[in-house]
Amino acid sequence: MGFLIAIASLPGLIIGVLCGLVPLGMGLRHQQLKWGIIGLALCALAGFAFSLVGGLVMLLLTTAVVISYAYVDREDPFTSRASLDAVNFEESQLEFLMRQMAALGRTIRQSMRALMRNKAGFLGFIGILFFVGVSVFGPLFIEYDGITHVERRLPGARTLFQGPSDEHILGLDWKGRDILSHMVHGGRNLIITSLEAGLIATLIAVVVGAIAAMVGGLVDQILSAIANFILTIPQFPLLLVLASILSFSSRFYMALLFAALSWPALMRAVRAQVLSLRERDYVQAAIALDLGLPHIIIREVLPNLMSYIVVNMIFSIRSAMYYIVGLVFLGLVPLKEPDWGVMIFTGRQQGAIFNPDGASMILSPVIAIALFQLSLILFTRSLEEVFNPRLRSGL
Amino acid sequence: MGAVPLPVSMSKNMGLWSQVKKVLGGVYKSYTFRVTIQGFLTLWVVTTCTFYMIRKMPNNPIQVKIEEFQTKQNLPYEEARAKVAGLYDYDPDAPFIEQYMDYMGDLAHGNLGKSITTGRTPVSQQITKYLPWTLFAVGMGLLISFVMGVLAGAAMAYWRGSVFDNVMTAFASISYGIPDFVIAFMILLIGGIQLEIFKVGDYIGGVDPQLKAGFNPDYIQSLFKHALLPVTTYVLASVGGWMLTMKSSTISTLGEDYITVAHARGLSQRRILFGYVGRNAMLPLMTRLAISVGFILSGSIIIETIFIYPGLGKYLFEMIGRRDYTTIQGIFLVTSAAVVVSNILADLLFGVLDPRVRVGGK
Repeated sequence: MGFLIAIASLPGLIIGVLCGLVPLGMGLRHQQLKWGIIGLALCALAGFAFSLVGGLVMLLLTTAVVISYAYVDREDPFTSRASLDAVNFEESQLEFLMRQMAALGRTIRQSMRALMRNKAGFLGFIGILFFVGVSVFGPLFIEYDGITHVERRLPGARTLFQGPSDEHILGLDWKGRDILSHMVHGGRNLIITSLEAGLIATLIAVVVGAIAAMVGGLVDQILSAIANFILTIPQFPLLLVLASILSFSSRFYMALLFAALSWPALMRAVRAQVLSLRERDYVQAAIALDLGLPHIIIREVLPNLMSYIVVNMIFSIRSAMYYIVGLVFLGLVPLKEPDWGVMIFTGRQQGAIFNPDGASMILSPVIAIALFQLSLILFTRSLEEVFNPRLRSGL
Repeated sequence: MGAVPLPVSMSKNMGLWSQVKKVLGGVYKSYTFRVTIQGFLTLWVVTTCTFYMIRKMPNNPIQVKIEEFQTKQNLPYEEARAKVAGLYDYDPDAPFIEQYMDYMGDLAHGNLGKSITTGRTPVSQQITKYLPWTLFAVGMGLLISFVMGVLAGAAMAYWRGSVFDNVMTAFASISYGIPDFVIAFMILLIGGIQLEIFKVGDYIGGVDPQLKAGFNPDYIQSLFKHALLPVTTYVLASVGGWMLTMKSSTISTLGEDYITVAHARGLSQRRILFGYVGRNAMLPLMTRLAISVGFILSGSIIIETIFIYPGLGKYLFEMIGRRDYTTIQGIFLVTSAAVVVSNILADLLFGVLDPRVRVGGK
């Protein structure tokens, strides 16, 4: 599934700049030139990295921020009812849109402030941006080195492994290839797959957990029984068996499989939370008004669970990455270079562990994975502040 | 497990029937009984599912061995096939249902069957051979990391905001954030190869093969020496989680009213810390500990493979590669049973430790 291409491209840059014209125009019109230019830059960057998806999302976000600076809340209790009839319907829709955009922009500004307040969390955010940035923009500067280089063998050396040197900062691997290029090119698939796996697992867990808790009765019992059952089977051994059955042609199937095995833990937690939320007055009121299950779950219950869900999504992404690298390390998935996990696997196969010159081939991906996961964990602290209004207003 | 349907003829002696029903209902309502039945049901479903899935894996044990003979000894296919047929006592063409019935029949007698690929040794014997290694290494690691984590976490909560707390919290976050195989590789590569603090060859594997097994000091010393790296890895990877949980649990306990009351009553600091704070803050951790015990068996495949430690995880991985159906099946059953039992224990233990949540009324 290629909904995220996540590689810097020229068409993407053009799309990004085109998208950036919207916040720039808004900024010019409302005398918020500074934010307009920042919006243009961010859109160009996001479009460059993620092409249409990134450009459009960033277009929405930055425009909202610009509008939120320019928008003045004109809600006047004395004029509103009288002028409502006079106002053109077309215009009131535009007004409505502007108000929504401004509200969105204010939320984004508050979130950014909350994000920066927690030092450790912000460090994690920067760490994630760094790895994503290197994976996306790195290929522009460092070409993938995919062929064996016998000519790089040093006189007297038994293998092609080489320690770090000026020319190759991270050294050479067992085929004499530049490790830095493999590091830059090898992270993208891993990060995207873990992201997909975490997202799908969280989605299943939230939907199933909320339905189980809100509907109750037999549905609840069946869903809980399934969750308990999956929790009992040892996950990683089961993953090993399933991996050899399915012999993944695409990494997306691996993400799906991980999601299928890992949703129950979060589902049980969501179910418990929803069960306690269901007894609150405002939810009871919504039930009494017969507002419908989707409305109750999405509008009343979920907003109160957001911080919990988002933090658990990060944990889910993290354990997906652990399992995926584990599967690759044990050699149970088709090995496709360049990939951090494959580097660890082949490095171990080719004796990089016991070769002092070859350590870099295993250490580089291992350290990168460690830092990325650490960034994820630190980032959750900021996310808690962003999504938990109680923490936010308390400061 | 609904109520037993009531035959029409029974309705005459309602008195006796209601007695029976009362007793049966009492048994059904008893928590232990219900949980035991649920546990057995879960294990049965797990066994059935894994039985099916394991046989769905591409290739079967015969095929794997034939291919091995073909590549390693350059035998032609027919010859390799005949050789394997003499070696293994398994018929891959037998109908699935028949195999399943045979297996379940054996299982009902408490018999896990015979391993296909390792000379027909009973699976139970294989498991008892490899299980102690995993129990020893991971069990020791779990114990050490739990004790250290609880002590450090409580201290962090007590002196919260201090330099000690900040340093330890940073350490705990790192320990919690980094996956265990990363720590294993770092120990091997940085400690063993780059800095040459220890000789890797002396530490990997299960025990020095030249020593004779037995209760002599050399052998025991060698056991501990070889378990050192896996245990260190396990402790470093999991101590952070315990520290953070204990810290937050202790902080919330310190804010409770009964702690304030205990202070007001003038109890000694030590008594408050151990009898009041410690005991209550430990409660949520005990459940997690019991659950972790259940996952001891399955959680160490990668670590055991890296350190070539002869535990159950590494053995399971090898057997998956060889498609030894019965052995894989047996290990799955034992590990799931461990999870089920430890979950039940966690529930019961919580009831014992915390009188407020006794299950089932009294």
